[in-house]
Amino acid sequence: MAETALLKVRKLAKYFDVSKPWLARVLENQPAQILKAVDDVSFEINKGETFSLVGESGCGKSTVAKLVVGLHEPSGGEILFDGTNLVEAINRKDSNLVRRRWQMIFQDPFASLNPRWRVRDIVSEPIRVFKLARSSAEIRERVGELLTQVGLSPVDGDKFPHEFSGGQRQRISIARALSSEPEFLVCDEPTSALDVSVQAQILNLMKDLQRRLGLTYMFISHNLAVVYHVSDKIGVMYLGRLCEIATANQLFKAPKHPYTRLLINTIPDMDMTRVERAPIQGEVPNPIDPPSGCTFHPRCSLANERCRREMPLLRNDGSSLIACHAVEEGRHT
Amino acid sequence: MSLLEVKNLRVEFPNRRGTLLAIDDVSFSIEPGEVLGVVGESGAGKSLTGASIIGLLEPPGRVAAGAIFLEGERIDDLPYEKMRRIRGKKIGAIFQDPLTSLNPLYTVSKQLTETILVHENISQEHARARAVALLEEVGIPAAERRIDSYPHEFSGGMRQRVVIALAICANPKLIVADEPTTALDVSIQAQIILLLKRLCKDHNTAVMLITHDMGVIAETADRVAVMYAGRIVEIGAVRDVIKNARHPYTKGLMGCIPIVGHDVEVLQQIDGVMPRLNEIPKGCAFNPRCPDAMDRCFRDRPDLMATGSPSTAACWRYDTVTANG
Amino acid sequence: MPPAWMADGTSKFLLGTDDQGRDIFSTIMFGSRVSLTVGFSAVLFSVFVGVSSGLLAGYLGGWLDTIIMRIADVQLAIPAILVALMINGVVAITMPQDLQQDLAIYVLILAIGVSEWPRYARVVRGSVLIERRKEYVAAAQVIGIHPLPIMIHHVLPNVMGPVLVIGTIGLALAIITEATLSFLGVGVPPTTPSLGTLIRVGNNFLFSGEWWITLFPCVALVLLVLAVNLMGDWLRDALNPKLR
Repeated sequence: MAETALLKVRKLAKYFDVSKPWLARVLENQPAQILKAVDDVSFEINKGETFSLVGESGCGKSTVAKLVVGLHEPSGGEILFDGTNLVEAINRKDSNLVRRRWQMIFQDPFASLNPRWRVRDIVSEPIRVFKLARSSAEIRERVGELLTQVGLSPVDGDKFPHEFSGGQRQRISIARALSSEPEFLVCDEPTSALDVSVQAQILNLMKDLQRRLGLTYMFISHNLAVVYHVSDKIGVMYLGRLCEIATANQLFKAPKHPYTRLLINTIPDMDMTRVERAPIQGEVPNPIDPPSGCTFHPRCSLANERCRREMPLLRNDGSSLIACHAVEEGRHT
Repeated sequence: MSLLEVKNLRVEFPNRRGTLLAIDDVSFSIEPGEVLGVVGESGAGKSLTGASIIGLLEPPGRVAAGAIFLEGERIDDLPYEKMRRIRGKKIGAIFQDPLTSLNPLYTVSKQLTETILVHENISQEHARARAVALLEEVGIPAAERRIDSYPHEFSGGMRQRVVIALAICANPKLIVADEPTTALDVSIQAQIILLLKRLCKDHNTAVMLITHDMGVIAETADRVAVMYAGRIVEIGAVRDVIKNARHPYTKGLMGCIPIVGHDVEVLQQIDGVMPRLNEIPKGCAFNPRCPDAMDRCFRDRPDLMATGSPSTAACWRYDTVTANG
Repeated sequence: MPPAWMADGTSKFLLGTDDQGRDIFSTIMFGSRVSLTVGFSAVLFSVFVGVSSGLLAGYLGGWLDTIIMRIADVQLAIPAILVALMINGVVAITMPQDLQQDLAIYVLILAIGVSEWPRYARVVRGSVLIERRKEYVAAAQVIGIHPLPIMIHHVLPNVMGPVLVIGTIGLALAIITEATLSFLGVGVPPTTPSLGTLIRVGNNFLFSGEWWITLFPCVALVLLVLAVNLMGDWLRDALNPKLR
């Protein structure tokens, strides 16, 4: 039985023009500089699933998140939300019908809530924008329900954000995100700024809500252990492109792409096995001027001439997708 | 003799409404060449402990009681000038943000040679040669050429290497590193951790590694002290504390960290939050959140005591004296 | 006639009278009223223009930002008094004589208002650039709210703090500018008393020994400006939710 894909992303691209101001460029005779933040990214998320994007800085995972919720316009490719073209849908007059089906939770609990608004206004904003309730009494009641659902109390609605801790603010963000009863939640590093014990509370809450409300999550993170805990499927990104897409089990038990292996190698040895691991070479290069061919080749022990010339494409390899010449040529074991 | 001994350290912050007790009766020691991890969540007081040792406690914060001994000599009550000379020569420091740790207006070469010349009486050329050698040792490629660059011309990981070079250039006996890898990508974190470990072994330098990241501790430290609300609640060898935690807070902490390979549906949760400095409960600071709290925990504050395993914990559950009598 | 506590003074004219027998105390009261009205209106005008342009420039960016900021930059290079004088001068030439008298106050308000808006625009634009990057703005954009409501309901409350402080300083400045312009003779029409005209008129009598005619309006001006500044400090603290 085919699973229903809630989100389908095909060859998504986002380019930024980061050239110097026109006059300076002309005077110094320099070419325009284009940053390919996201390039040729394709994946699918099924209903009820948690799909995570991992990668280091400059890999483009946050940009993909912003593209998927309509904060950026794609430079290329398409995004299909439940079969409809996302960019067209949000530019139509009745875009509200589509927009209320997804929401976003952000990383910084201190910047994601308007400091001048009361909590109940913050949480009820989607309700008012999408006209989901009629009277202010109804709205008040709904806000109280939502706050209780995320582990706060209805009286917290009268307070201001600065009266709450980081973990509580993330709960408020979650309450706000749930107020429009969305199906799809994009979470951009929601626990990265929180203490470990608070992180556990928020992750548990999110899993519980997913089960009860049937939510689909797209989770962005750089923390591999967190991603292991929450995800069904994982996509690994490097310099704007996808390297590998696999289920969580496969990715961690049998990673195939050399970059994925490098990342797995960096996971701390919490079981204290003290097993020796190969040292990691190099750093993430400047995204404005990436290496030729496969952008990972300078750091890859399996790189050959083809890797230096030709960009690998995502190919099926068993049940996962890998973009690597070495894997394709069977050189990776 | 221990390299560093901290005895009953007490750090206060007097303000208009009273005095905030930020560090309450903290004692520990660091042996030469060992890596002691100090772990805790935000507000636990670990950075303040590091700052007190380096002598960079920001006023109005002050050491109200206790003493800090470096190689047997007391350093917490030294005048500014004397402490300044010890800082750098005997104690090096690495902070979290490599971008603000380096002066953006001076080249790396100038900052390194200046620091070297402060602590050693050698010629300018000698100092530069030493600086280049240091950069090579911390793994910066083409050091001879890159030494004349400015900090912003380096990437984040490279900058942190420069900061480490600065910290070790006078051959200190102890390095206090406050969240040295938090602002870096995971692959760079791994490299920096390896670098620190190697340097410490090569130079027999002790490290006080302050972090909230248990993973970094697991990879790097020999011993670890767990801090909560300004107190140390558990201290012991890293393997013992991580795999066989004794204090309920440490147990809760270890339980709530997701670990690859451990499949749990629900992460263990510690209900509540760490108390604010002005709201620390009577008795054991952890009692409102502790699943094993007894009557005594609400009355008396426990000191670090033997627990039957190699690590010590500040928990009345291990008090065999009164339990039996 | 000198003030009441000196010889020759009466309690009927508390602060004395000027050369034409008008009571200084009451002319100060009337003059303050005019000064306050002009100052307040001018500040409201420049705050409205400055905050709107700063908000639009900072949030929308692009060529709109460039145009607005270049105009502001150019204007900031010219001293405020000169700008006010220029506007006054242009109006004096272009408008017929009889209208001038009636509209003089409004022209004055316009002149002072126009001379001060770049200050607010600059400050607001700086704050808007910071707030725009914050995630609560992105959260509002995700649910599809149009840029204008976001600017007004989300960003504006967070950038008004510095505006209030500068506004009260601006009010003080506007009052002084009005006084200066009136002192120079190009402010309010000569028939309307304002603190500036009072000081100017009184200046002529300073050396003939009748010091009170100029001194008391000066003191009144200082007290007025001080009161405005203190009120501004209090207002900013009162409106900060973090201090409630």
